[in-house]
Amino acid sequence: MNLREAFRAGSREIIANKFRSALSFTAVSVGVASLLYTMAQTRGMEEALEKNLELMGPGRMTVEAKQNYVSKGLSSGLTYSDVLALRRELPDLYMVEPRSAYSSTLVAGRSKIDDVDVWGTTPDFRRRDWVYRLRGRFLNEWDVENRARVVVLIEPAGWVKKPFWAKFWMHDDPYDDFAKRHDLLGESVRLENSIFTVVGVLTPPARDKDPRWESWNTANALVPITVFQQSFTRFSNNPDSVDEIRIDTGDVKTLAARRKQISAILTRRHRGEEDFEIRDEREAIEAKMEDMKKMVKAGLALGIVALLAGGIGIMNVTLATIFARVREIGIRRAIGAGRSDILAQFLLEAALLGAAGGVAGVALGLVGVQWLSGLAGSREIAKITWLHCAEGIALASLVSAAFAFIPAYRASRLDPVEALKAE
Amino acid sequence: MNAISVDGLTRTYLGGYQALKGVSFSVAKGDFTAIMGPSGCGKSTLLNILGLLDRPTGGKYLLEGAETARLDDAEITALRRSRIGFVFQAFNLLPRLSALENVALPMAYAGAEVDERRARARELLTRVGLGAKVENTPLQLSGGERQRVGIARALANKPALLLADEPTGNLDSKSSVEILALFKELNAEGMTVVLVTHDPAIGAAAGKVIRIKDGLLA
Repeated sequence: MNLREAFRAGSREIIANKFRSALSFTAVSVGVASLLYTMAQTRGMEEALEKNLELMGPGRMTVEAKQNYVSKGLSSGLTYSDVLALRRELPDLYMVEPRSAYSSTLVAGRSKIDDVDVWGTTPDFRRRDWVYRLRGRFLNEWDVENRARVVVLIEPAGWVKKPFWAKFWMHDDPYDDFAKRHDLLGESVRLENSIFTVVGVLTPPARDKDPRWESWNTANALVPITVFQQSFTRFSNNPDSVDEIRIDTGDVKTLAARRKQISAILTRRHRGEEDFEIRDEREAIEAKMEDMKKMVKAGLALGIVALLAGGIGIMNVTLATIFARVREIGIRRAIGAGRSDILAQFLLEAALLGAAGGVAGVALGLVGVQWLSGLAGSREIAKITWLHCAEGIALASLVSAAFAFIPAYRASRLDPVEALKAE
Repeated sequence: MNAISVDGLTRTYLGGYQALKGVSFSVAKGDFTAIMGPSGCGKSTLLNILGLLDRPTGGKYLLEGAETARLDDAEITALRRSRIGFVFQAFNLLPRLSALENVALPMAYAGAEVDERRARARELLTRVGLGAKVENTPLQLSGGERQRVGIARALANKPALLLADEPTGNLDSKSSVEILALFKELNAEGMTVVLVTHDPAIGAAAGKVIRIKDGLLA
């Protein structure tokens, strides 16, 4: 029996029993879709991880005040002097950036905007997160040393394609609204009670193209840390304090060693008080990836279960098909079909049915991945390749054929005389 | 050498019912033999054994001089496919296939090329007088026409032996006469024909009649 003919006969059977076929391959297609989604996620995650580690820096850590730490009164907390000391003692560090945040009021011309997020920082800000486009200039060392009243504004990020939830969920930010309509480069603006000159404007990438994990965690305005300490009223009673220090050793290999050195330097400077915590960003990102992997595993389990359920469905349909076609089997046997021909016929039919389910599943998966990555927001995590689609379809037909084996085998063992008597 | 030679053939079903109780006869090459007898006498069982669809419980069955008892299922299938053509009372055509595809099917199982199969199927259908209806499905054909397709299919792999189980049982008298004429023509061309029938007219037409009663030759 040649394959092409068996193929044609099989598809004819499937088309003749549309409803039965549709029922049985639904589960298979759900299985394939979720497997496809899972595979896409896994691949997308690997890419995202790499991209993020690259953007974040290989040797990234963040020093921040220890939670719920009650000071003995010896330490004055994290300070800009700590930053300078680290720079002095460990000159090979790629980045040592202080950061403090404050929510301020911005006055530009006749407009007054509340809740503008201002960060105090240094030129080291530009050492990582190279996603911005800059107009004008960034803060420089001179600005920091001389407490120049200059500010770099960060424009709100737009969307290439706005996901549907953003329409309902995103509140209108007054700064975003204002910044979209005014170009303040070169203008003077008032922050709190000081006049600043806008020397530069940073434009982030569109939100759905932003490769960073925490792209939402950005300020609206950047000022030199020294000016920040002077101009923005803080609750801290230490005028030199900073919220956190972001460090990149520049190399993942030096991370652990530098971390110890940094801890030692800071502990000494804080007069023995370990009132800070050093968070390894790589660990954090990997922990996040672990969480995502768990989700992916759940998807994988769902996919396998759905595929198995689909397989059992196919088995059921094959049984029903065979039951309805016992006479046909008898006829085929009588005119010269061997057991292997009968077995092959039903296996092929099941494989075809499974492949049809696989194709439907791939279609469902493609739509689903689009939809889900829209739902997940800005990050395009899922990546589907043609290989995944081919694998999905192959897997579906393989599983179907495997599950059809027992009924098909039983069909092939039918006694021709008995089979011919069936109605 | 006889086409068929059976000796002391018995067939006992599970539960002990004995359909054949020791039947011996032979059919020479080119014979036209009718097996006759009342309902339930075992003639269909005999025909199934002759057609290698069923196996005897005891006795010997030599097909073209070769013992069949020791063959396994694959060998039996190969023999059935190449040496035997089966014609059924209920036609037993596959309803979704056209007349041409039905006739070509045994050749497909024999491994013939598609073009060869279609050409031979067309030739056979023309031979049985259905050259104009090769693309019709069984449902678009009359009873007599269906049986012609059945006969054409039985001839597909050039068998040595044509077996028919009540081939006219489901047909009106006009079609019966035509089908019988077709069998006689085939026999005249040298085909060995064995058929089971109730119809005395067919019995009279056959060169030889084997009568069975209660599983024994009468």
